[in-house]
Parts: sequence; C-alpha cells; structure tokens
Amino acid sequence: MTDLIRNADSPEDITSAAAELRRIVETASITLNQSLEVFEAWGLALGQSDTADLPGVPFLRLWLRRNTLEPIITKELGPGALNGDWMEDGRARLKAYPVGIVGHWPAGNIEIQPLLSMTCALLGGNACLVRIPTELSDVTSQLIAKLIQSDRQGILTSRIYLLSFDHERLDLHRAMAQSVDGAMIWGGEEAVSTIRSLPFPPWARLAVFGPRISVAAMDAACWSDPATREALCRRIARDVWQFDQQACSSPQVLFLEKKNGESTSDFVQALWTAFEAENRAHPREAIEGALTSAICQARANWLLKNETNSAVFPATPDWTILVGHGSEIPQPTQGKTLTVLEVPDLLAALARLDGNVQTLGLAVADPEKEIAIASLAASRGIDRIVPLGRMHVFGAPWDGVDLLRIMVRIVRHLRPVDGEHGRSA
Amino acid sequence: MNALEARIDELLAVPPYSLSPEEREPAFLALLKDELEYACNRSAAYRNYVRHWPIDPRAAPSVADLPYLPVSLLKADPPFALVDPHAIKKILTSSSTTGQVPSRIALDSPTSRRMSKAVIAIAQDFLGEQRRPYLVADVPSSVAQGPAMGARGAAIQGLMPFASQLTYCMNPDDDGNLRLDRDKLLEFAKAHRDAPVLVYGFTYILWQYLVKPLLAESISLEMPNVHVLHSGGWKRLQDEAVDKASFNSGVAQVFGCAADRVIDFYGMVENVGVIYPDCAEGNKHVPAFADVIVRDPLTLEPVGDGKRGMVQVCSVLPTSFPGHLLLTEDVAEIVALDGCRCGRRGTAFRFVGRVPKAEMRGCGNIIRRRELAR
Repeated sequence: MTDLIRNADSPEDITSAAAELRRIVETASITLNQSLEVFEAWGLALGQSDTADLPGVPFLRLWLRRNTLEPIITKELGPGALNGDWMEDGRARLKAYPVGIVGHWPAGNIEIQPLLSMTCALLGGNACLVRIPTELSDVTSQLIAKLIQSDRQGILTSRIYLLSFDHERLDLHRAMAQSVDGAMIWGGEEAVSTIRSLPFPPWARLAVFGPRISVAAMDAACWSDPATREALCRRIARDVWQFDQQACSSPQVLFLEKKNGESTSDFVQALWTAFEAENRAHPREAIEGALTSAICQARANWLLKNETNSAVFPATPDWTILVGHGSEIPQPTQGKTLTVLEVPDLLAALARLDGNVQTLGLAVADPEKEIAIASLAASRGIDRIVPLGRMHVFGAPWDGVDLLRIMVRIVRHLRPVDGEHGRSA
Repeated sequence: MNALEARIDELLAVPPYSLSPEEREPAFLALLKDELEYACNRSAAYRNYVRHWPIDPRAAPSVADLPYLPVSLLKADPPFALVDPHAIKKILTSSSTTGQVPSRIALDSPTSRRMSKAVIAIAQDFLGEQRRPYLVADVPSSVAQGPAMGARGAAIQGLMPFASQLTYCMNPDDDGNLRLDRDKLLEFAKAHRDAPVLVYGFTYILWQYLVKPLLAESISLEMPNVHVLHSGGWKRLQDEAVDKASFNSGVAQVFGCAADRVIDFYGMVENVGVIYPDCAEGNKHVPAFADVIVRDPLTLEPVGDGKRGMVQVCSVLPTSFPGHLLLTEDVAEIVALDGCRCGRRGTAFRFVGRVPKAEMRGCGNIIRRRELAR
C-alpha cells in the first residue's frame, strides 16, 4: 500500500471519504478546459523515463492529449461544452452536469484501466472513488504520482480518492456502492456480477464493461503481398503483446482468408519473425506457473487434436502461433498465444461471431469489402472495428457506450414561449 | 520393439540409485530418443506434436531438450494409448478431486510388468527385500478386480510383493464412508508387535481415520519395527493445519516407532512404476530408469540447486502410452543434482506443492459463452 492509495478498513472509511468528495463536487465546479490542461500536463509527465515504459502508458498518454479528448467532448457533450456554454436545441438549451460521485471498479489485469475509467468521469465534472485492485497498487501509485506533480493546485486530485481493500470484503464494496451516484464496472464475469448486485442508490448510473475477447482478420490480398506482409505482422505482434494478451481488446485469433492453393508458410514465417522481434523488444519479466502450464497445454492440445494443425513456438513460453483451419474460436489461452485460422471466405467466418467479440482488427485491401465486413461484424455484436495495430487504442465509444455522456446529466432548459408565465409578446 | 524392451529391462536391472548423472545420461537419453521414435510411429497425433517441437529430438543434446507432454493431455477418454485396444490390460485412473477429469493410463502387459519391477526395486532400497505382514489403512474394494484401477489401488498393489500376509483395517459404513476396524487393527498390532511390518495408507486417510482418533485416545500400537509408507498429497491436511513434522510425530506416536520410519512418497499414476520416497535427509530421489527435471516457469529452462519450479517427470518404463516425458502441475525444489548425504546418487528434490490455479480475472476472461448466459 502506498500513501496515494488509502487502505480502507471499515465502511466508515469509505463513507467519510465520499462525504468529502461530495462537498468538493457540490461547492467547486471546474471547467473542461481546466481538466484538459491538467491532463495534457499529466500526459507529458508520464513520458518521463520512470513511467514511459510501464505497460499501457503510451495508450494513456495518447488518450490524455487535448487533440484526442476535444473531439470526444464536442461529440458527446455538445459544441459549447468546452467553454461551459449551453447548447441550443430548438426552444430549449442543453448542458452537461456531473452526476456527482462516480465509483470505479477496474479489472486487475490492465495497468492503466483505473486511470482511463477515472478520466472519463472527471471530464464530466464528477468526483471519483476508485477501488485499486491490489495487484495494480504499485503501478497505479507511479502513474498517479505524475498527476499530482502536474496538478499543483489540486484541481483534479482533490476530486479523486483511491482506495484499496480485499476483493472479498463485501461490506466495503457495499459501502462504496451506497456512496456513489454512478459506477463504471470493468472485469470478468464473476467480478462484474458481484459488483452489479451491490445496493447502489436507485438513481445511480451503471456502466458495465464486461468480459469479452477480440479477433483479427486479414484478406488474401494483404497477407500474400510481400510488400505489406511484414508491416502487418509487426502490427499484429504489437496488438498481441500489449497487456500480455489479457485485455478484452487483445486479439486471440487471426482469421486468414485463403484462396485456392495458396500457401501461408511465408506469412507464418513473417509472423514468427515479428513475434521474435517483439519478444526481444518487450520480454516478459514474470509469469504465473498456471499460465506457463496453460500455454504448454494449448500447444500440445492443438497439435494432438488434428494432425493437419501446425504450430510455431520457442522452447520458452514467450509466445505461440497455432495454425489451423475453420472458423470456430478456441478457448483463449492468453499469454501471447495467437491462433491463426485459415478460412476460405472472411465474410462467412465473421458471420459466425457474436457479442462475445469486442474488437475486430482488420487488414483488408479492398475498401468496399472492408465496409461490408465492418457492417457484418457490427450486426453480429462487435462494437469496435479498427485497423490492425490499433486494437488497444482507447477511445469513445467503448463497448458501444459513450464514455463521458454516461456519467453526466444532460440538463434541458425549455424556455417559455411568449404568453407563457404571463409574458407578453 | 524387442530390442527396445531389452534395453529398458537392462536399465531396470541397475540398482536404482547407483549411477551418477554422468554415468546414467548417455544410455538414458538414447533410450528415450528411441522410445519417442517408437511412440511417433504408433501415433500420428503424437508424431505431429513431436515434429513441431522447437528442437529436433534426434539432435537433442540432453533429456531436458526432448519434447515433453503436459500431463493433462492424459485425461483423454478413451485413453491416449500407443497400443491397440485389445492389448490394454488395465486402465489406471488418477485420484482427481471432485469435478475434475481424472487421467486415464492404458497399461499393456509389458508396461504393467515393468511397473511392478520398478516399484519393487525402489521400495527394496528403502525397506529391504524381506516380506513382512502388510497392513493397509484402506478398504479391500480400493483394489478392485477389473480393467480399471484408481491411484489408491495402484499404490496398495504396488507394495504387495513385500507382503507375507495382507490385512485391511478399514470398512465402509452404510454411507460408503471409511470406518476404522479397531478390533482388527489392535489384533494385528498384538500379533506383530516386535516384527518388521509394512503399513500403507493414503496420507489423508491414514491421518483422518486411523492416527487422529487413536491420538485422541492416547493409544499406542507399540510396533517399533514398522515402516509406515503414505502418499497422495498434503492439501487436505494443510487445510487442517497439519504439517509434515506434526504428521510424522503423530504417526510415530500411534505406531510406537521412530519418526524416521514414517516415509512419505510422491508419485502419480501417469508416472507409472516410479515412486519417490523420502530418504533419511528428507529428500526424494530419482531412480536410474527415470529422471526429474524442475523447470523455471518463466523460461521452461531446468533450474539448479536450491531453485523451485514446475516438475517434469521422465521415465523409460511406459511403452503403452506416451508417458516418457511429462510436464506436471506440481512444484518442487532441486536440493542437489547429485550427492545427497544419504548416499543415493542422482537428482535429489523436495516436493513443494501444486502450481496455483489460474485466477479468472480481467476483462478478457470469458468464462462462458454469451448464448449460454441468455
């Protein structure tokens, strides 16, 4: 535990922290420009050598840039939102106000998730009560220290309370839920189900980002072209490497459209080279024995279950490429284990996907075909369709949900027409 | 195949703890390579696995470089066999906990014969050759007659060659639970009070149904020449906060023997014929016809003295299933690659526990598919 993340021992610890946050959010309003200035400075500070290489920091820095956030603010909250103006809407005018205190329950597998979640609510003018998973405590402290350094006046830091407690302490989860006006909940099925069932106030807004997987797809024109193949393989490797392939946006499967008689061996060789290069650049520093075991099992299972399956992997558990046929997604192994599935027709394969898939990373040479694939994927339940190499770039909407709008109240002021309230024409 | 069997028997005939690693490695490695080739010829699936191994097995400079199979791959049903179904004489099943799929190990006659010879060779090194009264802390039905046998039955049967007389001291009650037959136990103890006696039980059963109740009543069986062997793991005892020292002391008190006559052995049905009893130094040893490699989970490289990692068991004994090189889900610590003070040659190690189960967490973990949740 660090000073920046407070250990909660009793429900009272949480309710008193929430009371202080509520006092601040009700008495001190901030403008979006103030928030953006702090975020911009925070992003710069995160580029310093002690934090720049922490997992996910490049994505966090990209997200914090004014150029990234301004268009999202304008789209979700209206063109005048940056200046605190009301937005005209016929006879009415609209403006976003904070819901109050937003509780955040991030997952334990993505280092930057507590901060991404928190920034969405802060941009709505809210205060944040954030439960930091124990395993993310150290990295969160390092990242939040840069925010404190960038926010000398406490414009945003006064609105943030980071706390830590054992995930089994239901009394503390309950106290947190009862103290908030909104919640952003991330994670696996069990965690999400537990948090959703907490006694939130009836008015509380809940944004749930549950467990999902992601896939990638390439058409034959892309993977068979020696001019583009290597760059695309490097992009897939980047997407696989981030977050040790544990994020919902991590590709578990690559569908490879294969026309008659073509050999994918050159492509697999290029992918192998890209994986080796990525591994040299970003070697794993630790692993749980259970993941090593799962990786070894995935390799053996794949090769034993079908004699036409093939695979490439080193003697270490660093990475694995499993190659086979068909459109059925195997149970994800994670830990940089990518299954490459050759399919005769991308559209037919992707038609079998469902809402379990969050992101589709695409490399398709023909723009019309790309549009057709994107439309099909969207209709099957996929929420993000992005180019390969950009699968983890955080942006709104996420999981099909606007990230800022969900934690604000859009207040509508309908002005009286002439004659109403006794006004004369 | 006959030539291969002859070479296995040759290694099996060597006193199990007489060879240094350098003396043992060349023949052991060559034999494993030939067994791998045999297995590849018998199974196209296995051949596909070996073909994709990052190191060519024929050119592998050491046993650690040969292709190992995760032990969970032996949970297949029907069992993953290298022999025709009609040649399978027995199927051993592991003692999986509730809800888990057990391993299923297909034994043909030659593998079964080697399994018995191997257990005898190892146990003789610890117990001597003499037959003696054999008390089993279990029920007779654990050694079911038929084509299938569980881990308890296999362990009980493996020690039968040391028995001059066999006594089971448990009965099933009306609900099928174990119950100590106290009269039978006391009668056995009285009859063999000063004689060399062999006792075997699963660790938890021995403690829960025999030692714990007798300890509570301060009963001593007064059998100073007993050897009490037990196996099966410590998880349930750890849950009851019983460590190895208190276990040994409790067993010794009940049987009225010295604590060093209580011998824990590590074994698994997948590693047929190979058991790893504790020596007087508290270490487990590898016989000449087998090996244990402990691998660093980060690199899968073998670790050295004093380091912990995942256990890989190696054995030349099986020819009916691909159990030559198995990566287990157990964790052990290498004590020394040679030179244990007990005098046994080869690798000495200590069992540490199981690889902790992966915790399902995070936004990329799908436990069940969406359509099932609807």
